[in-house]
Amino acid sequence: MAKLTLDEWLARKESDRRFTENIRALKRIPPSEGCFEPFPDWLDPRLRTALGKDGIARLYSHQARAVELVRQGRNVVLVTPTASGKTLCYNIPVLQGILEEPDTRALYLFPTKALAQDQMHEVHGLINETAANIGTYTYDGDTPGDAREAIRRRGHVVVTNPDMLHAGILPHHTKWQKLFMNLRYVVIDELHVYRGVFGSHFANVIRRLSRICRFYGADPVFICCSATVANPKEHAERLLERPVELIDQSGAPRAGRTFIFYNPPIVNRELGIRQSAMMPARNMATELIENDIQTIIFTTSRLNVEVLTKYLKDRFCKGKPVDDDRVTGYRGGYLPNLRRRIEAGLRDRKVMGVVSTNALELGIDIGDLEACIMVGYPGSIAATWQQAGRAGRRRGRSLAVLVARSNPMDQYIAENPDYFFSRSPEHCRINPDNLLILLHHLKSAAFELPFRRDERFGAENIEELLGYLEEKGVLHRVDDRWHWSAESYPADEVSLRSINPENVVVVDTTDRGDHRIIAEVDWDSAFTTVHDEAVYMVESQQYHVDSLDLERKKAYVHRVDVDYYTDAMTYTNVRVIDEFDRSYRPPVVVEQGEVQVVRKVVGYKKIKFYTSENVGYGDVNLPENDLHTTSYWFTIPRETLGGLPFTRAEIIDGMNGLAYCLHHLSAMLLMADIRDMDRCIGDKSGRWFMQKGAAGRSMADIPGRVPPGDDDFDPTIFIFEVYPGGIGFSELLFERHDELIESARSLIESCPCAHGCPSCVGPTLEVGPKAKTVAHAIVDLMVNR
Amino acid sequence: MTVMDRLKRLTGEEEKVAGKGGRSEIVSDLRRRIDAVMERRTQRIAPLQERVFREDGAKDILEVVGGSILENDRGACLVRDEVLQGAERYGKMTVAEMKRFAMEHLALLARDGRLTDLNPRDALFLDTETTGLSGGTGTTAFLIGLGWFEGSSLVIRQIFLRDFADEAAGLRLLREIVKEKGFLVTFNGKAFDVGLLSARFVMNRLADPFGDLPHLDLLFPSRRLLGHRLENCRLGTLEEQVLFFRRRDDVPGHEIPARYFEWLRCRDGELMRDVFEHNRFDLVSMAALSTHLAGLVDADPRNRREMEEDLLAAARLRLNRGDEGGARRMLEFLLQEGQWETMGLVVHEAARELSLIHKRRGEWDKARRLWEWMLEHRLGDFFATVELAKWCEHRARDFKGALEVVDLALERGGATPDERDDLLYRRSRLLRRCGRDAE
Repeated sequence: MAKLTLDEWLARKESDRRFTENIRALKRIPPSEGCFEPFPDWLDPRLRTALGKDGIARLYSHQARAVELVRQGRNVVLVTPTASGKTLCYNIPVLQGILEEPDTRALYLFPTKALAQDQMHEVHGLINETAANIGTYTYDGDTPGDAREAIRRRGHVVVTNPDMLHAGILPHHTKWQKLFMNLRYVVIDELHVYRGVFGSHFANVIRRLSRICRFYGADPVFICCSATVANPKEHAERLLERPVELIDQSGAPRAGRTFIFYNPPIVNRELGIRQSAMMPARNMATELIENDIQTIIFTTSRLNVEVLTKYLKDRFCKGKPVDDDRVTGYRGGYLPNLRRRIEAGLRDRKVMGVVSTNALELGIDIGDLEACIMVGYPGSIAATWQQAGRAGRRRGRSLAVLVARSNPMDQYIAENPDYFFSRSPEHCRINPDNLLILLHHLKSAAFELPFRRDERFGAENIEELLGYLEEKGVLHRVDDRWHWSAESYPADEVSLRSINPENVVVVDTTDRGDHRIIAEVDWDSAFTTVHDEAVYMVESQQYHVDSLDLERKKAYVHRVDVDYYTDAMTYTNVRVIDEFDRSYRPPVVVEQGEVQVVRKVVGYKKIKFYTSENVGYGDVNLPENDLHTTSYWFTIPRETLGGLPFTRAEIIDGMNGLAYCLHHLSAMLLMADIRDMDRCIGDKSGRWFMQKGAAGRSMADIPGRVPPGDDDFDPTIFIFEVYPGGIGFSELLFERHDELIESARSLIESCPCAHGCPSCVGPTLEVGPKAKTVAHAIVDLMVNR
Repeated sequence: MTVMDRLKRLTGEEEKVAGKGGRSEIVSDLRRRIDAVMERRTQRIAPLQERVFREDGAKDILEVVGGSILENDRGACLVRDEVLQGAERYGKMTVAEMKRFAMEHLALLARDGRLTDLNPRDALFLDTETTGLSGGTGTTAFLIGLGWFEGSSLVIRQIFLRDFADEAAGLRLLREIVKEKGFLVTFNGKAFDVGLLSARFVMNRLADPFGDLPHLDLLFPSRRLLGHRLENCRLGTLEEQVLFFRRRDDVPGHEIPARYFEWLRCRDGELMRDVFEHNRFDLVSMAALSTHLAGLVDADPRNRREMEEDLLAAARLRLNRGDEGGARRMLEFLLQEGQWETMGLVVHEAARELSLIHKRRGEWDKARRLWEWMLEHRLGDFFATVELAKWCEHRARDFKGALEVVDLALERGGATPDERDDLLYRRSRLLRRCGRDAE
């Protein structure tokens, strides 16, 4: 059978009514003309020639503006689409600067090692063509020891990542004297990645970098690039704590793209059950790959990567060992070698289909893919555009399909395409002054240079914090200076990316004589993914976890071939420590403040492939996970609820459904990742609680606890942050309480399901038959008073 | 709300809210976590054995260790001077003997020819005591020990930072002394002390005096020359087993940072007494070790060494430094004079090294005779067999002879399985070549 081109395939689908009836939006984004400007007069002839060799004879308008502003010494943030030539916006001023003054140094920061490698090759190419003696090096954990010395002295452009800057460069700044004394440019790409916890850490790393620069008398210009976010200027200024110019008008020509929102059909109207998003995604991917249309499929979880990879491998690779690489998975947790092999396979088109988490969302060079299928809304508008951008970075035509899942956020996006296409996407938020984060970085900063009494480090009064650290014995004050006075190396004690820097290593013991490490799992997810008896999957190979040894940070597994996977069950308990804010919205009391959260994995379910049938349970005995954080919550007086014509059990179901809805909507309102928040229903006293996990899974009840009586609790819904100390989301939710409740009301009211479904209050089977009705009654009560 | 209030609430240090029972219990876990954040690393380090010093009875450090406060344009620091007279004995050497090293030998040890133009009195021995071993800009050298020869005496000067504010003055003084001297002698100073001090100069905006000052780091030649007969090459081990010098009540190195932090807190000079002593012994040992190592590499093989292995090691060091002639004289001496019945391994190794020198130089006859001699005395059978077989096969084109050599080795047995495989493979190839010749 002749292979179809992408256009032919699309035309065929568009005439297939069974396909088109599920399309909620089909946007053809037309190609657009570019807007150009000549090279600036001051451009070095060598650079002019080098650019000419790459076929560049003029600049896009945004590039021209960027290089001019940087030349004037202004910090800039560029917000232009993928493939709009952002790298030239920093490479031109940096290389020009070095050509004019050979001692000039520049620091490039990319969020991942892979991205740094990739960008290094690009700068390298340009430098080679200028024929000038300019050293560009990546400096990261993989850089061999003997090369480091040369890089410190001779690297004009040092390409690294924030983690290395934090733990490898700043604490050894004296060895980098040459770099810091001559540092004129700092380039930060993928700025929007630095939000939430990572961003809060990163802002502190920038504070430390600025301190070191001041010590050496340097005052570099910052050049930042970001995907389209709503507040790029504000975000950049918050991260850098200095004024930044915004450039957001792209002068680059744009290729055409078709963007489809696909909402899978409702298969059971009574239960409000939609077809799983995996199903249409799998079908589309199969057809595209069959036609040799190179396709990337993004899923939102590691588990789904493995499940979908297994489905596609079953289809394309069974019995054809030669074609084994035609479809492959890709996610964090795969070892670097495997990842490099997959990336290369994508570039030379040996791999025709790749199923990935957002690990491939950033600009790692994987060549020109033609189609992108997103299984589920990636959680933010910026991430959606970025994932869609992985298809057709250079080629003319491309396709992006967003397949909505049943959860409220996806449904809201799918049913309100204008929200996506017309509104500016998410806000990046950080809280660099989160006390725990700040304390970590104060320690590292004091290690790097003693603190003077009059110094500033962020918005807080650091004198008190320094006093605290002095009292703890890690700092020693002499006159007006605090000196590091401990044996430790504080940068090693904190990872910028997660709460707990510890990892659990997964060891395959199938071959007795040859134990092999097959993956790494971060500490917190280890509790849910590699607990005893779990089925863990890598590259769609299943492994049975024989034991999880938390002390030695190892999970021992062996290969198995079973027809199910496992899904962990957790319970959560929240206790209020202190209220920061309170407002009375009769009859409801709304508050935000500090809470203590206890979470525990208590068991797991076995779920059968394809049918998703529940085929068994098991217990898990793992220690509790404690979390001290901030939360937003509201309490409905029991008398008020008692006035509703429902039983107590039904009211609890209704609260549950409402919490489900609010959790998802808060993530959307805040434009945060849903996993940045969690929810819990309980009593402010913490004496009883009942819980649904982040992914909407349910626990029957809490072992060994007696359900409370009718009159000893006031039901409270907690939406809390999962980072210790919080990063400011709770306060925002508190401020937007009315908006949140109103959107919940409209979502529940307009949902076509009969008794609740995953798109509003959660699936009926899990939340109970009356949940939707009761939740509706509760919000009405809250809104109408 | 102030930062401290928030922090105290986070850590549970302040029982602010009355009537909230169990709050301290709730936050005690967080408190533990924050404490763990603060102390994660230090926990691994052994705590002070037992505090024998107390604050109320704190003794003035000047009374305890002596010395005086020196002031210069960058501030002040404590300086303690001591002259060790030539007749004083430490282990097997007197102080006067410690100076008896030839500069050409030090140049060989340091792999730096510039040393031959210098004089023993240009040597600056250097050893620091620091606030930690992790490196990075947060580690400070709080005690900088220096030593040099004046006449037959060894002068010890210790620069001590009473706290961090003394650092600039201490470094300024160090810089002045370094500039007067011709070369540096340390133990592991290349990897540690000098890099650390260089960072401190940068931090205090002072020019780094070390630059490309010649530097003999005794650790590397100690490993080469003595590593073969010691369990490790720590300075303490070398002292006991090579210099025959034993310290009494020495403070363990890993305790020193904690002692200094304790000193910063309570200012009891007693805490520092052992640290000064420890540092002083390190310097004396370095001086003695320099002379000992220099003697080991002396070109004259008749010069008495304690052990035959040391002469072999010296020959190998000379080989490594490109002095084949010197190495050869030592090896030949070992083979003539060595009592090979008891010193089998040394003689075997010496014969092997020497035969390889002959082989490199194309002195085939000498090489062949050594291999035959080794086989005759059953020294290093496999090595000698293979070398001799190779010589027969490729040089003399005597396949039968080669075959005989291999057969003899197989007959004698004693080869490891890998060696045996190698011999069998060689044998089958030789059989083929013999057969082809016969045709």
